[in-house]
Amino acid sequence: MRTIAFSAVVIALWALLTSRGSPLLPGPAAVTRALLSSVADGTLPAAILRTLARLGVGYVVALVIGVPLGVALARVRFVKETLGPIVLGMSAVPSICWLPLAILWFGLSELAIQVVVVCGAVLPIAIATESAVSQVPPSIDRAARTMGARGTRLLLTVTLPAALPGILAGAKLGWTFALRSLMAGELLFVSGGLGQMLETGRDLGDTALVVAIVLVIVVIGRASEVLLFGRVDRLIARRWGTA
Amino acid sequence: MFVITNPFARPAATAIEAPPGIASGGTSIALDHVTVAYGAASTLALTDVSLRIAPGEFVCLLGPSGSGKSTILNVVAGLVKPVRGSVAAGGSQIKGPGPERAVVFQDAALFPWLTLRQNVEFPLRVKGASAATRTAKSESLLRLVHLWKFRDSYPHELSGGMRQRGGIARALANDPAVLLMDEPFAALDAQTREILHGEVERIWAATKKTIVFVTHNVREAVRLADRVVLLGTRPGRILEERTIDLPRPRGANDEAVARIAADIARRIAHEVEKVASEEADDAHGADDRVQRSGDRAVGTAH
Repeated sequence: MRTIAFSAVVIALWALLTSRGSPLLPGPAAVTRALLSSVADGTLPAAILRTLARLGVGYVVALVIGVPLGVALARVRFVKETLGPIVLGMSAVPSICWLPLAILWFGLSELAIQVVVVCGAVLPIAIATESAVSQVPPSIDRAARTMGARGTRLLLTVTLPAALPGILAGAKLGWTFALRSLMAGELLFVSGGLGQMLETGRDLGDTALVVAIVLVIVVIGRASEVLLFGRVDRLIARRWGTA
Repeated sequence: MFVITNPFARPAATAIEAPPGIASGGTSIALDHVTVAYGAASTLALTDVSLRIAPGEFVCLLGPSGSGKSTILNVVAGLVKPVRGSVAAGGSQIKGPGPERAVVFQDAALFPWLTLRQNVEFPLRVKGASAATRTAKSESLLRLVHLWKFRDSYPHELSGGMRQRGGIARALANDPAVLLMDEPFAALDAQTREILHGEVERIWAATKKTIVFVTHNVREAVRLADRVVLLGTRPGRILEERTIDLPRPRGANDEAVARIAADIARRIAHEVEKVASEEADDAHGADDRVQRSGDRAVGTAH
């Protein structure tokens, strides 16, 4: 209720400030028009689909690599001592920095842009998983071992569930990193998607379109937060007793 | 003999008798010249500990922190390997954790993502027991510890005392011969602890388990044990053993319990003082060396 009222105030202020009609400061009406026309001619839905598909594929690949990597970093001493410092060092590199290399290796292809998305998401996921697994209380691990759990069974039925709240926090972080990397990638790299629509808006001096696309990205971020993670978060809170 | 005035005493007919295992003799757990070292510096946690525990016996390991009482428990549990000496349970050498030796941890260590009932069924699941067996067993155990009503609760929804009772039920699931309890009630309030002492005594009498119970609480040890094993520090070793032949059920505030506890506490105080004075000597020696080297800043603090 309060959120809706506040949003209304913000939009009213926005309309007031842009009422002089400068083309550099699009008002709510102009942005809505840009939004509707890009929906009508099909460019926006196509771009959203393209972006979401890339995001989905890259994110799943990042999870499939990142979670096992994080577990190995926490539990396998050889991996911790060899890959550990490298992973921490690499996480300082913004993933978009890999784009030139990815283009040289894979050309102007989907694969190149996927590499950037995966690079962006995999390290935060791996690092969060590593810390979640390392922080499983030793008594949980010892209790499981005294009850006869060993090896893969210990990992799958005790260690991973015990670390799940932390792994999920990493998965959320990974999602936002994936989205950011993808937007950067699409901006620099003409290949469809929302990032390219932003770039088109700039080329045409269409500020209303640029603002409209930014709003779409905000909505995608919020919607994935609520639809994807909201339910899982509540389940975790109820069962694990966290937060 | 001591005069016993037990305000909680029940009529003699219902008095809890020690399980027959003790009378029949034999050895449940045997430690021979066990030495345990930790870390790169090989700090000795235990040195040359030999201990025999009879089937059905209730033994308390009592000592100040650093005396290695939990280490003994972990060695018997198979979680820690001694550098020297041998450990056997039920006549066979201990090579690792086993279902015949269950552990109750200080923080209960129930799995937070499972309900109480699923927690109790976990060891049965690992063993591959059928669903019917698991259901029947978890029900009888949860009734034994008076938690049947809370079977579908998650651990974070239970009080500390209830979690400990859940931990005990889980430990009993595989019907172990030995129950290893690592300061299970240290974090609980006095009233809850008193209630749980009664429960443990009752479960012990009903199941005839061998119980090894680690504590730093002297009254708790005397209240519960057939035999108290007193441990000393630096390095951890056995100081002495005392048989507590007071009738059961006992109360932590019984006069006889209090008298034996006071006597044992004096013995421990003596040990702790000895360690403290050794530490003071060490510090003194260090100061002397520092003064000889002419460092006044530290010298004046002397």
